[in-house]
Amino acid sequence: MNTVTVALARLLLVAAVFAMPSFAADDEEALKKDLTAVIALHGQPCGEVVAVKVLAQDDYAATCKDKNKYHVYLNAAGRVIVEKQK
Amino acid sequence: MRVAHAAVLLLALAAGCSRGQRDAQAPEPADVVAQSATPQSGTPQSATPQPAPAATPAPSARPAAPRPAREAAPPVAKKPVPAPALDLNALEAQLKETKAIGLFTKITLKNQVDDLLDKFREYYQGKSKVTMADLRRAYDLLMMKVLSLLQDEDQRLASAIVSSREAIWGLLADPIKFATFQG
Repeated sequence: MNTVTVALARLLLVAAVFAMPSFAADDEEALKKDLTAVIALHGQPCGEVVAVKVLAQDDYAATCKDKNKYHVYLNAAGRVIVEKQK
Repeated sequence: MRVAHAAVLLLALAAGCSRGQRDAQAPEPADVVAQSATPQSGTPQSATPQPAPAATPAPSARPAAPRPAREAAPPVAKKPVPAPALDLNALEAQLKETKAIGLFTKITLKNQVDDLLDKFREYYQGKSKVTMADLRRAYDLLMMKVLSLLQDEDQRLASAIVSSREAIWGLLADPIKFATFQG
C-alpha cells in the first residue's frame, strides 16, 4: 500500500516536471506568433519571430528569423509601437 | 440601427484587448455563419429497412441505384448560404474571445481601425485630400489583415466578418450614418 502511494507520488511529480515546461513553451510560442503578426501589421520585414525577450510588462525585444530585431511595446497612449533595433 | 452596430464591429476588432468595458458578453450566437457547407449527405436516414427494390432478390436489369445518387448530387453541391442575419453583439464577443489573435495583435488592429476612422473623419470634415476610393482601399486592406489573421484558426468568425463587410462599409461611407455612429 505504502509502496503504491510512493510510486503514485513519484509519477505525479514526474508528470508535473514535464508538464510545466510544456505550458511555458506554449505561452512562448503564442507570444512569438503574436509578435510576428504585430510586426507584419506594421509592415516591417521579419518572417517569423524566433526569440523573444521580455523587457517589462507589454515590452518585448523580438528577434526575427531574418535577423532583424525589434522593440515592440505598448506606449502610454495605448498604441503598439514597433521599433527596429540595430 | 443594425448598421450602426456594424461600425462597432470594426472597433470591436480590438475590443478583445481593450479594457473590459463591455461586460455584456452576448451569448453564443445562434450559429451566425456556422452552417458548414458540408451537408452530411450520407446521413443514414433511418435504420429502417430500406426500399423494397434493393431488398428484392430479383436482379433487375436496370440499375436503380445510380439514379438516386445522381439526383442527390446537385443539391449537395455548394449552395450559397444566404448571408445570415448578423448578430453584431455576438460578433463583438467572439472577437474578444477568439484565441486566433493574440493580445498585441488585437491592440495593433484597434490602432489601425482608429487610424482609419480618423481618416474618415478628416475626409468628411474636408480636411483631407484622400478620396473615397483611397478610403475604400484602406478599409479593404484592413479587412484583409483581419481575415488573414482569423481564417486559419477561427473560420467561423472570419466568415461572420466577411458577411458583415459591406454593412460596415455602408456605415462608414455614409456621412450621416458615420456621424451618427461617431456621436
